[in-house]
Amino acid sequence: MTRRTKRSLGAALAVGAVLACAASGTREYTNNDLELAAGHAAHDICSCLFVMNMPEDYCRAWVKASPDVARYSVDQANKTVEASALVLWGARATYQGPHFGCVLE
Amino acid sequence: MSLPRAAAAALLCAAAAAPTSVRAACPNRGSWPTDGWPSIAGQVATQRQAEIAALESYAFTLSGKDEERLGLRTDGLVIIKNGQIVYERYARGWDAAKPHIAWSVTKSVTNALVGVAKVRGALSEDDKISKYVTITNPDSRAADITIRNLMEFSSGFDWREAYEHESYQVSSVLAMLYGVGHKDAVKFVTSHPLRDAPGTSWDYSTGDSTLLSSVVTAAMVPSFGEDFAFDLLFSPIGMKTAVLERDPRGGSFGGSYLYATPQDLARFGYLYLSDGCWAGARVLPDGWVAASTATVAPPFRLKVIHPDNEPTGWQWWLNQAVPEQSIATRPWPDVPGDAYAAEGHWGQRIIVVPSQDVVIVRTGDDRNATMSVNDLASKALAVAR
Repeated sequence: MTRRTKRSLGAALAVGAVLACAASGTREYTNNDLELAAGHAAHDICSCLFVMNMPEDYCRAWVKASPDVARYSVDQANKTVEASALVLWGARATYQGPHFGCVLE
Repeated sequence: MSLPRAAAAALLCAAAAAPTSVRAACPNRGSWPTDGWPSIAGQVATQRQAEIAALESYAFTLSGKDEERLGLRTDGLVIIKNGQIVYERYARGWDAAKPHIAWSVTKSVTNALVGVAKVRGALSEDDKISKYVTITNPDSRAADITIRNLMEFSSGFDWREAYEHESYQVSSVLAMLYGVGHKDAVKFVTSHPLRDAPGTSWDYSTGDSTLLSSVVTAAMVPSFGEDFAFDLLFSPIGMKTAVLERDPRGGSFGGSYLYATPQDLARFGYLYLSDGCWAGARVLPDGWVAASTATVAPPFRLKVIHPDNEPTGWQWWLNQAVPEQSIATRPWPDVPGDAYAAEGHWGQRIIVVPSQDVVIVRTGDDRNATMSVNDLASKALAVAR
């Protein structure tokens, strides 16, 4: 499976999940899967790298969720992680120091 | 630790304690692992080869490819007996210096912070939380929620404790940590409708624990500063790697986001094993450990989501039969009945066994398997006997 095909499949799964929940009437919170995916990736990658001090390849595998729609970038100098899910949703987490770790902004 | 440093630590803790605390005798231990754990692991390794093989076969045998996330995936395992490390091993890229996420083990640390606040007269478990935080809820009953209610998972909030195996959007936890609630956890938790009157039902809730930690923070920060948890709990017991993450408003996520090395988590267990004392001084109030590790009184127990059907104390899990709560037998039958545990998602555990003077810490990343406390602890106790 090519990377492009994987990305398309991920997008379809994410949109499908949102529509399925909306249709079933079980949706309780206004956040959708994409918002959660972006927030989860930003925060947990930040904590994995800067609190747990694990290598990036470990952290990438550690935060991988289903559907795997989140993409992220790391600013090592400012200890910040920005993540997005299907471009539509973004999130940023910043390392605050040795006592309080990462905060999802 | 040298005697002068031990004495200095004792004086420091004693000076920090409020005069309201009632002093009971602290355990008389020869040394305290504030600056390092003594280890006899090498000696035990030669004496307990069969027991260690059984333990490692259970805890460290990996299944399938790493990306398949199958079976038990232990990252660290430390066993303390009589104040010494008798076993220690790390795997999957982890080592003794790396702080590991503790997930809901954090709840038991929040219990300790309530005790730290109580010993200084900053709060009492029967205080209404509305004394400390703003309650945004149209239901007037929410104003009656007490600190005790939160410690006993009986706020009454209609909370959905769901994780990655259910629809993300119905999960109160995911919404709080990553979604609509992450910017203000107190406001998010307290805005939930009340399903039951406070103190009348039991429901495991990371929201209750998060709210609890925010109440403690509100009670302590004005007098002790935002580092109170570090100054009054972590530093005195040598937990140098502890991290407690917060929301953007400074509210602590006291149900989820503690990080520490396994050796530091063992120090936390050792504090409870030592009746809330450290180096001869009381960190937690007299009777706090006993109260926190006693079963929460009935009448309420609406539902139990924990797979092992374990009863709870105040943010601790217990190895007790509670027939009136439909727990007919001890959940860990091969482990002494006085054992209790801090438990976190994906297999994080601090298991305290007072009758054997043992603390067991296990960190891991179990995504599709549930580690058995009974199996792990019974095998660890065989190593530590």
